[in-house]
Amino acid sequence: MRGVVLAAGLVLGAAALAGSPTAAAAGRTHEVAINALAYVPQTLTVKPGDVVVWTNQDPFPHTVTAPGVFDSGSIAAGKSWRYKVKQAGTHPYVCTLHSNMKGTLQVE
Amino acid sequence: MNKFVTTSAAGLLLVAASAFAQSPSDAQIADIVVTANQVDIDAGKLAESKASNAEVKAFGKQMVTDHSGVNKQAVALVTKLKVTPEANDTSKALKAGGADNLKNLQKLSGAAFDRAYVDHEVAYHQQVLDAVDKTLIPSAQNAELKSLLVAVRPAFVAHLEHAKSLQASLGKKS
Repeated sequence: MRGVVLAAGLVLGAAALAGSPTAAAAGRTHEVAINALAYVPQTLTVKPGDVVVWTNQDPFPHTVTAPGVFDSGSIAAGKSWRYKVKQAGTHPYVCTLHSNMKGTLQVE
Repeated sequence: MNKFVTTSAAGLLLVAASAFAQSPSDAQIADIVVTANQVDIDAGKLAESKASNAEVKAFGKQMVTDHSGVNKQAVALVTKLKVTPEANDTSKALKAGGADNLKNLQKLSGAAFDRAYVDHEVAYHQQVLDAVDKTLIPSAQNAELKSLLVAVRPAFVAHLEHAKSLQASLGKKS
């Protein structure tokens, strides 16, 4: 029994080692929650190639919109939107449905 | 109780905001929340089909979506808490005011409909926001009910600002 667990652990360890260089090359994944009409964290600093996932925890749709840079369109309640970061710079973004919602994606 | 039926629509909103000499119970708050959302859903549905201005139509559609979402969450919470929403003077006044508003809007069309709908949305969201701040949040006993109110409050602020900006843009076209 112990042997099986150890073997499983070794397999998982090997998979993690094999997986890690690829993961690093693909960039990190960052999470932003949309909760009670706020982006949390409100400002996020990332690098080109990173992925940002916004998850809408509110009971109605929101958008993540930086005009001319990125636009999620409507993200339904409970759904997420992934964006692979391209352009460096400071990108303020809003929800086009609720003008009091503001966030910033800082790309270094 | 029936005195509200004969009160004017404007008066109804005032009554709604100030009906409680004492704090409403959680069961009463639940009924007020569900009713307040439903009233705006009904008006939004009418605007979605009847508004002539595309932005007003889109706003009506958003009101249906947002307030339906809030109600779904509110109903799920009160079901979980085993709270049975209890009708009260405020929720009855909101319902009667909503019916009066629909009756008035049914008679209008074109730009007159758009303006009347948007004007009412500005007044309505302002009144509901006042009730949320002055009565509902301070009175809510259950922590989850209170957090739900706090969490959705910014949506009412956003709707109010949106309605005001529509009101300003419709005003300019006259």
